[in-house]
Amino acid sequence: MPVRWSQLKARGSLRGLSPFVILSLMSLAMALLPQISSYEVVTAHIFDVMQNFGTLGLVALALGLTIIAGEFDLSVSSMYVLGGMVAVLTGAHSPVLGVLAALGVGVVVGAVQGGLVAALRMSSMPITLGGYLVLVGLTYTISHNKSVAYSNYDVGLWLDNPIAQVFSPRSLISVALFVVAALVMRYTRIGRDVRAIGGDRRASRTAGVRVDRILIGVFVVAAVASALPGALLDYSLASASPQIGLDQLTFSATAALLGGVSLSGGRGSPAGIAAGVLSLSILQELLVIIAAPMYVSSLITGGLLLAVTIAWAPGLGQWLRTFGFVKIDEDDGAELAFHGVSESVQEKQEPSA
Amino acid sequence: MPQDPRLGRLEGVVRVQTASVAAVALVVSALLAYGAVTTDGFLTLANFKAILTATSFVGIIAVGMTVIMLSGNLFSLSLGTTAAVTAMFFLYALQFGLGLAIVLTLGLGALIVGLQGIVVGAWGANPIIVTIGAGGLQEGVALWVSGGHSLLPPTGETSYLHLARPVLGIPFGIYVFFVLAVITEAVLRETRFGRETFLMGENRGAARAAALPITLITVGVFAIAGFCTATAGVLIGAATANGSLLLSGTYTYDAIAAALVGGNAVTGGRGSVVRTVIGAISIATVSDMLLLRGYSTGIQILVKGLIVVIVVVLMNLGRIWNR
Amino acid sequence: MVEQQDGPADSGSRRLLKVEDLSKSYGPIQALRGVSLDIRDGEVHGICGHNGAGKSTFVKILVGLVRPDAGALVMDGHELHLQNPQQAQAHGIAIVDQELSLVPALSVEDNVFLGSLHVPLLHRRRRLQRKARQLLDGLDLQHVPLSVPVDQLAIGERQLVEMARLLGRDARLLILDEPTATLSKGEIERVFRAVREVVSQGRSVIYVSHRLDEIFSLCDRVTVFRDGQAVGTHGVHELDRRSLIALILGEIEGEHVGEEPAEEHEVRPETAVEIHNLNVPGRVRHFSLEVKRGEIVGLAGQIGSGASEVLRALGGLIPEARGNVIVAGRRIRISSPRHALDGGVMYVSNDRQAEGLFSHQAVERNLTAVRLREISRAGMIVRGRARRIAARLAGLVGVAEGRLGSPVATLSGGNQQKVMLGRGLEHGGTVLLALDEPTRGVDIGGRADIHLLVQHAAAQGNAVIFASTEFEEVFELSDVIVTMFEGRIVSVVPCKEANVAAVLADMTTSRSPVGPDGSAQGAPS
Repeated sequence: MPVRWSQLKARGSLRGLSPFVILSLMSLAMALLPQISSYEVVTAHIFDVMQNFGTLGLVALALGLTIIAGEFDLSVSSMYVLGGMVAVLTGAHSPVLGVLAALGVGVVVGAVQGGLVAALRMSSMPITLGGYLVLVGLTYTISHNKSVAYSNYDVGLWLDNPIAQVFSPRSLISVALFVVAALVMRYTRIGRDVRAIGGDRRASRTAGVRVDRILIGVFVVAAVASALPGALLDYSLASASPQIGLDQLTFSATAALLGGVSLSGGRGSPAGIAAGVLSLSILQELLVIIAAPMYVSSLITGGLLLAVTIAWAPGLGQWLRTFGFVKIDEDDGAELAFHGVSESVQEKQEPSA
Repeated sequence: MPQDPRLGRLEGVVRVQTASVAAVALVVSALLAYGAVTTDGFLTLANFKAILTATSFVGIIAVGMTVIMLSGNLFSLSLGTTAAVTAMFFLYALQFGLGLAIVLTLGLGALIVGLQGIVVGAWGANPIIVTIGAGGLQEGVALWVSGGHSLLPPTGETSYLHLARPVLGIPFGIYVFFVLAVITEAVLRETRFGRETFLMGENRGAARAAALPITLITVGVFAIAGFCTATAGVLIGAATANGSLLLSGTYTYDAIAAALVGGNAVTGGRGSVVRTVIGAISIATVSDMLLLRGYSTGIQILVKGLIVVIVVVLMNLGRIWNR
Repeated sequence: MVEQQDGPADSGSRRLLKVEDLSKSYGPIQALRGVSLDIRDGEVHGICGHNGAGKSTFVKILVGLVRPDAGALVMDGHELHLQNPQQAQAHGIAIVDQELSLVPALSVEDNVFLGSLHVPLLHRRRRLQRKARQLLDGLDLQHVPLSVPVDQLAIGERQLVEMARLLGRDARLLILDEPTATLSKGEIERVFRAVREVVSQGRSVIYVSHRLDEIFSLCDRVTVFRDGQAVGTHGVHELDRRSLIALILGEIEGEHVGEEPAEEHEVRPETAVEIHNLNVPGRVRHFSLEVKRGEIVGLAGQIGSGASEVLRALGGLIPEARGNVIVAGRRIRISSPRHALDGGVMYVSNDRQAEGLFSHQAVERNLTAVRLREISRAGMIVRGRARRIAARLAGLVGVAEGRLGSPVATLSGGNQQKVMLGRGLEHGGTVLLALDEPTRGVDIGGRADIHLLVQHAAAQGNAVIFASTEFEEVFELSDVIVTMFEGRIVSVVPCKEANVAAVLADMTTSRSPVGPDGSAQGAPS
C-alpha cells in the first residue's frame, strides 16, 4: 500500500522522539520478560545495565558530539584504551593524579586533531584514523605490549560500590557528565554553535560563528570524554590492557545513531545519546539474561546499526518513490517545494501564481 | 560578463597540490634512503623478502580498499573482518576440493561486500557506518556458524599448502599481490567502469547529471573490494591453516593507511593502485627498519599513524595556501 | 555621461551612504564605470538593470566582498574601506541574497542570533527570546514559533528570518538581492510589509530586482544600471513602465541586439519534441511546447521563472516532475538522467561546479563523460577513439588541443563553459539539446562562438531549447522566444516578430497565463 510522501516527510520530526520510544520499548521488554518466560530479572541486572552505561556511555557521547559537529572521530576507542593505560601507569600512588594525567593526554590529543581539522579545513576521518594508529601504538609502547596491573584495589571497589542498588560512583559520574553536556548543548551559545557548524559549516562561517575554536573544543571534549571512562574502568578492573577491537566503535556508533544523531550533522543531543546507550545496554543485558550465545550480541548490534543507517539514509525516500512504494499526488506535490508553516493551507485553497 | 576571479585560484590550487605530492614523495624517498643506509641488516635480500611478505596480505586488501576510496565512498572499516571470515570459509570449503574452494570463497567475498555496496549506492547510506554494521553482522554469523571454534582444514588435506609455499624463493602471496594490483590498475585505467569510478569519486552530483549509473558503479566497486579481500582470505587461510576471527588483526587499518600514505585522496576521484602499492611498501619498509633497529611493535604502529597524519596534512596544505 | 537626478526634494531626509565614482574591472572587462549615487535614510532604493549591467558587482562592493579599483563609499562623513563582509556588517551594511546563511537544523531563535557577538555564553534565554520575538513580529512573522527548525519554513519565511538576524545586528542599510524570485504571492506581500516596517524605523533598504511591478509598488527612488554605469536615479513616481524599460535598454529598444555572425539553419517541418503539461511541483505549471527539428527555442525568464526547472526536468534531474514528453515520436521517461539521455535529451546544467564538470579530471575525460559507451568496446576504453572524439569536440568549441590533458579546473571560466557544452554536442542519440544558461561566465567573443555552435547543432537537425536570463542572448539565438514568469508560459513569439521591450515586460511582470497557442487561460493573476 503506497504511503503518502507527506507522511514520510513527517519522519524528520520523529527523529527527536525515537530514541526515547526505543528506550521505552527496551525497558518494557525487560519488564515483561519475567512475565512471558521463565527468566528472572533482578536488580543486579539493572545494576549491570548502569555499569555498562558507565563504561561506554561517555565514549558514545564523545563520538556523538563530533558527529553532531559535522565530523567523525575514529580515534575515540583508542583514546579510551590509552586513557586507561595512562591512568594505571601514573596513578599507582594517587588515583586522582592518574585520572588527571589521562585527561591531560586527552586534551593534547584532542587539540592536535581538532587543530589540524580546523586549520586544514579537511575531513576529520583520515586525521583521526592516523590518530587512532598513533594512540594504539602509544598504548602498546608505554605498556611494553603487556597488560599492566593496578595495585590500588580500593579505588576499584569504591568505584563499583552499589548505590541505591542500581548505581555506582562510576555510573553516576557518567550520568553527571551527560547532564552537564545536555545543559551545555541546550542552554549555551557553545551548544548552539556546535550544532550550527555541523548543520551547515559554510552558513555558520558566514554568519560569524567561530568555527575553528568550536571544532578544536569538540575534539578536545571528545578525547577527554573517551579517556575518562577508560581510566575508571581500568581502575575498577585493576588492570589495563592494550587490546583493542571494533566493539567500542560499533557500540558507540549504534548508540549515537539510535540516539537520534544524524550523520549529516547538526542534529542530536546528549539526552538522546544517553537513551541510545541505555537501550543498547538493556538489549545486551537481556541477551545475557536469556543466556544467548555470544554471537547473538554481535549479530543484533550489527544488524541494528545497519537498520538504523538504512532507515535514515537520504536516498531511501527517493528510492521508495521511484519504485512505487510511496505515492505523490498533486497535493503532496505542492508541499515538496518550499512551502512551510503558513503557506501550505493557503496554497491548497487557492492555487494561484 | 566578467571572468570569475576564483578561477586563477583554482589553477593555483591544482599546482600547489601537485607540488605537495611531489614534496611528499621527495621527503619520503630521502628518509627511506637515509634509513636504508644507516640500518644494519636492511640492505639484504632476505630482508627485502621479509618486507614483501609482510606487505602481501595487507597489500591485497589495500587494493580493494583503494577502489572504494577512489569511488568517493571513503573506506570500509570491516574488510579485515571479511578477510578473516573468508579465510574461515575457505578452510571449510576445502572439503570440496581446492579449485572449488577458491572459487566459492572469492564469490562469497564479492557477495558480502557487494551487498554493502547496494545499500551505499542505492540509498546513499554512509559507507563507514554501513561497513561497521556489516562487520558486526559478519562477526556474529562467523561465531555462530563456527560455534566459537577455530576452523581447520579437513584432515589429510594438503592441496592448499601450494598457496603458502614460496615459489622461486618468494612467497606466493607476493605474486598474487602484484598480479592483482596490475589487473586492478588496468581495470581502473582502461575500462569504462574504471573511468566511471573516477568520475563518480570526483563529483557525485556531476556524475549523476551525466547519466552515470551510480548504484551499479558503487556495487561494482564494493564487489571488487570484496573479491580482493577474499583473495587475501584464501592466502591467509592457507598460510595459517587455522581459521578464526582473530585473523582479522589490523588489516583494515593497515589497508587504509597504505592507501592514504600512497597519496590517494580520501574524498575520491584522484589516485591509483600504484600509489597504494607504494604506500604499502613504504609502510612495511619503515616498520621493518624500526624492527631491525630494535623498536617494539608499539613504536611501529605509532610511527605508522604519524606517517598517515603527516602525509595527509602535506597533501592538504594546498588548501590553506590558497585561503 | 552619467545622469544624476535626485528624486523629490525630501529636505528632511539625511544621506546615509554616498557612493562616489565607483569603478571595477575584471581584466579587460569593465564591470563598473564611475558609478555615483546616494542612499537616503529611511528610503527604499530600487536598483534595476539587465544581467551584466553591473548590479551584482556594485552590491558586492557595498558588502565588502569585492574591493573597487577606484571610487569611494562614504558613510557618516567617513570613507569606508571594507575588507570583508564582517566589516561591512560592523558598519551596518548587510545583504540578504539567494544563498542564505541559515543553518537548517537549528531553530528560528538560534538562527536569529547565530554568530552574533552580543550573545553571552549562557544565553539568558528569556531575554533573547523576547528580542527574537520582537524582531520576528516586526517582520510580520508572528505566526512562526521560535523553536521550529528553520528547514520547516518556506523560503520566503527563511529570508525574513535572515533579515531578522541582520536587523538584530543593527543593520542600517539592508540590501535585498532579488528577494522575490522564488516566492509566492503571499510571501511577496509579507516581504513588502517587512520592508516598509524596516524603513519606518529609519533604516534604508536597497531593493535589487528585475520585477518592475515591485519596483513601482515598493521603492521610493530607483537607479538604473546599464553597461556598468548608473544611468539615472529617479523618484519612482516620475517614471512609468515604458520609460523605465527604455532606461534599462538604452538605445537598443525596438531593435535587434548585436550584430553576430549567424549560421543559417533551416527549421524542418518534422516535430522533434512535444511537451504536454509539464509540471514541477511548486516551480512549473502546465508547461506545453512543441519544437521542430532544427528549431531553437529560447526560454526567456529570470531566476524563479521556472525556465531552468523545465530543462532540468527534461534532463531527468527532477524525479517529481510530471508530464508527457514525446521525443521523435516516442514517449520518453524523464525520471532519471539515464532515462532522459536514452530518450534523446542531452541536458547541460547551469551549475558547472556541482553538476557539470569534474574539476580535477582532464579536459579529455570531461568531454567524453557522457559518451563512455561510444568510446568503449566490450567494456574497454578505446584510447584512440576517445582521443579523436575529444579532439574533435575540443576543436568544435575552440579549446586548444594541447589542453586536453590538463585538469579542466585550469581552464578559464569561458573555456570551462565551452567544455561543458562541447561534451553534449555531436552525440548520435541526441534529438533535443536542453541548455541551461549556455554562456554563463563567458565573454562576448566566446559567447558568439557558443552561439555558432548551437546554431550548427540545430542545422544538423537537433532541436534546441535553451534558457537564459539575458534577453540579448535570447534574441540573438532563438527562432522562437518563450517568455516565462512564475512557473508559467507568458507568451510564445517567433523571434522575428518579437519586440525587445515587450519581452522584457513579459519576463518581469505578472500577466494572465497563456497556452501553447498563445490564447489566454484562466483568471488574470
